[in-house]
Amino acid sequence: IDSVVVVDSVPQVGPELEFYIFSDKTINYDSVKNYVFRGFHMHWLEDPDCRDQYSVIYESGEQTAIFSNDSKEPILVEERAVKTYVRWSLKGTYLATFHQRGIALWGGEKFKQIQRFSHQGVSLIDFSPCERYVVTFSPLMDTKEDPQAIIIWDILTGQKKRGFHCESSAHWHIFKWSPDGKCFARMTQDTLSIYEIPSMSLLDKKSLKISGIKDFSWSPGDNIIAFWVPEDKDIPARVTLMQFLSRLEIRVRNLFNVVDCKLHWQRQGDYLCVKVDRTPRGSGIVTNFEIFRMREMKESIIGFAWEPNGGRFAVLHGKSPRINASFYHVKSNGKIDLIKMFDNQQANSIFWSPQGQFMVLAGLRSMNGALVFVDTSDCTIMYIVEHYMASDVEWDPTGRYVVTSVSWWSHKVDNAYWLWTFQGHLVQKNNKDRFCQLLWRQCPPTLLSQEQIKAIKKDLKKYSKIFEQKDRLSQSKASKELVDKRHLMMEEYRRYKDSAIQLYNQQRELRLQLRGGVDTDELDSNVEDWEEEAIEFFISEEIINLGDLM
Amino acid sequence: MKPILLQGHERSITQIKYNREGDLLFSVAKDPIANVWYSVNGERLGTYTGHTGAVCCSFTKSIWNVLTGSADNSCRLWDCETGKQLALLETSSAVRTCGFDFSGNIIMFSTDKQMGYQCFLNYFDLRDPQQIEDNQPYQSVPCNESKITSAVWGPLGEFVIAGHENGEINQYSAKSGEILKTAKEHTKQINDIQSSVDLTMLISASKDCTAKLFDSTSLEHIKTFKTERPVNSAAISPIMDHVVMGGGQEAMEVTTTSTRIGKFEARFFHAAYEEEFGRVKGHFGPINCVAFHPDGKSYSSGGEDGYVRIHYFDPHYFDFELEA
Repeated sequence: IDSVVVVDSVPQVGPELEFYIFSDKTINYDSVKNYVFRGFHMHWLEDPDCRDQYSVIYESGEQTAIFSNDSKEPILVEERAVKTYVRWSLKGTYLATFHQRGIALWGGEKFKQIQRFSHQGVSLIDFSPCERYVVTFSPLMDTKEDPQAIIIWDILTGQKKRGFHCESSAHWHIFKWSPDGKCFARMTQDTLSIYEIPSMSLLDKKSLKISGIKDFSWSPGDNIIAFWVPEDKDIPARVTLMQFLSRLEIRVRNLFNVVDCKLHWQRQGDYLCVKVDRTPRGSGIVTNFEIFRMREMKESIIGFAWEPNGGRFAVLHGKSPRINASFYHVKSNGKIDLIKMFDNQQANSIFWSPQGQFMVLAGLRSMNGALVFVDTSDCTIMYIVEHYMASDVEWDPTGRYVVTSVSWWSHKVDNAYWLWTFQGHLVQKNNKDRFCQLLWRQCPPTLLSQEQIKAIKKDLKKYSKIFEQKDRLSQSKASKELVDKRHLMMEEYRRYKDSAIQLYNQQRELRLQLRGGVDTDELDSNVEDWEEEAIEFFISEEIINLGDLM
Repeated sequence: MKPILLQGHERSITQIKYNREGDLLFSVAKDPIANVWYSVNGERLGTYTGHTGAVCCSFTKSIWNVLTGSADNSCRLWDCETGKQLALLETSSAVRTCGFDFSGNIIMFSTDKQMGYQCFLNYFDLRDPQQIEDNQPYQSVPCNESKITSAVWGPLGEFVIAGHENGEINQYSAKSGEILKTAKEHTKQINDIQSSVDLTMLISASKDCTAKLFDSTSLEHIKTFKTERPVNSAAISPIMDHVVMGGGQEAMEVTTTSTRIGKFEARFFHAAYEEEFGRVKGHFGPINCVAFHPDGKSYSSGGEDGYVRIHYFDPHYFDFELEA
């Protein structure tokens, strides 16, 4: 890199080493002279075997080392005898160490010191998501005139951007950064303050007055802040979702008898789950989850189905022919996790087994009957099969068998129903002239108690032995019936053939007459008449290099 | 063994036939040429050109002549070896099916019900050259009710067994033209009738998704083989208790077909048990005709895709047995 562009005293070089050319702004060449290129910070990402690094503090804090993760054994990268805590920045570019006088940032191939910030007694730090800024906190330094408890630093220039008061460090991270890195926010008594970057001044020059605000959290995906406020006399507690730029409250939900709330955002900001602890009857704490769905899915939803008996659901989304199947799991704490997404599926319908866990993704009718059998316990595809032009899928009530069928109502040929196991093995094909519909007979709920079911599962080996014996008996019975039937059919056929051959033999004279005495009853009846000819024809070619022979 | 692929036609195959010894295979299609191939390696021996429309074919078992019929309203006789056209019989409508009798002296062919003309079953005696010259069959049988779609000769040339559009099978006397026997077993059009190599039995392939085995002389219905698709053609193995069937959806009737390779299969059934025991994939479209080699060691199929495939059986085909 041989040049740097500076705009308004700020070198336009980010940790990503991108360059911005501002052709219509005056370039301040003085600043360029003072800027020293700090070396290539992304070096560790170029490890040819893609090894990750990790820091280790040992010897009761006296030694700090960086290792490269090789599965055979760790490879030492750097080792320093330095008594410190360490923190990595959010994208891994910098390693911060703590000292009495402040913090130092290290990075690059040899972990050279990149920057240091003077903040006496620093005890806590926080990096901005973009790694441009670091926030340091020290309980020692605050004065009324010159707020020094919290300082925001610009890592690239080394400049101190702004200082803040801090009442207590109980709520570290005091500053919560917006996902796009353009703002950070901080909560104090009855107030939510949002600051802009790079000016570090309050957005709209004032803080938000939110009486009683207890906690807030940015959406990880959008510029939305969620916060909650407890009950105040007659006004119930509420959770609010606010578009912070416009200050517009896009969602408000009232909650009653609330003791406490915790905000849990789903990783992409698609869902917010608020864990609410309540005392509905005045005594005893009850927890439930309020879920906010943040997305209208950008893709059209083709199908949605909850798992029966379970906490999973499947969604088909997208536009044909690029349809995706996503599986989500609602965890016990209310968080919704995407387990897996299969893309490019030929599916327009979801069929869960009535017992849960197993399911079939089907591309019915216009999608030609593509079938995918999935085990959602680990989201693996068990079998990919096809029942050409299938129009319907029906699980049996026990979840052991699936029937796929081609109904005459939707397709005029190949009408049949096929029986599969829950794993996707084809058991039977039943053709029925103009087959229309198959419906399973449902069963009433089990009379067994949970304990009884547990006991049966324990003794399953014993039961399966008995069932296998029964199966073997019935198999051989079926075979015997089939064998007997075939025997009869063959006898009947043989009888017919014998009488036909008798007639044929009787007609031999007539045949000879018709062909002028020439016997043509067998293929080799008159070999004398045959001409023998040898034909040569090409079978295969092999090229052998003369060099190989020597 | 890998099948031998014959590419000699530009349009769908309508009929394939082996000669008596089986060393030659004839193929005709909706394009106006007839081909003859060596069945041992698929090499083309020659072409018979002259027709201008779709054809059917037959050949003598002892004399080296080939008979072809066509939608160009003609039936032609050829010298098999030289490819020279020996006779031309013009008709008023398309010739659907044709054949030499056992002696090779009498030919029959049927014409379609078209353009106001009836369906006729015509008989010519080749020993009387006048009949050919005057284009005058010695017997012409009208079929008023349902046109003939396929026909074969009886074992001794005394009658022709014809299948009709309405599923009926009739024996027509070669002398008087009257119907000797009738079988009404199929419910839809007969697509193909083929005799066993000794002519004692015949198998009929029908649009009603079944093929049926009959005794040629009594027209007694012996066996039925069921599938879920219309059967276009069926043949009886000369040496095993097997029949082979080919079929598929009629191209005009269905808008979507599975065009994946191997979707159209030749299906093998056990003749006595009526059970399917094997399938052979490979055609890209419906199979229009199947035929066994007279020695029973191979079979061929011709498809809507314009290809003819010759398959030689693996040794294990001959050992295969259904438990009985």
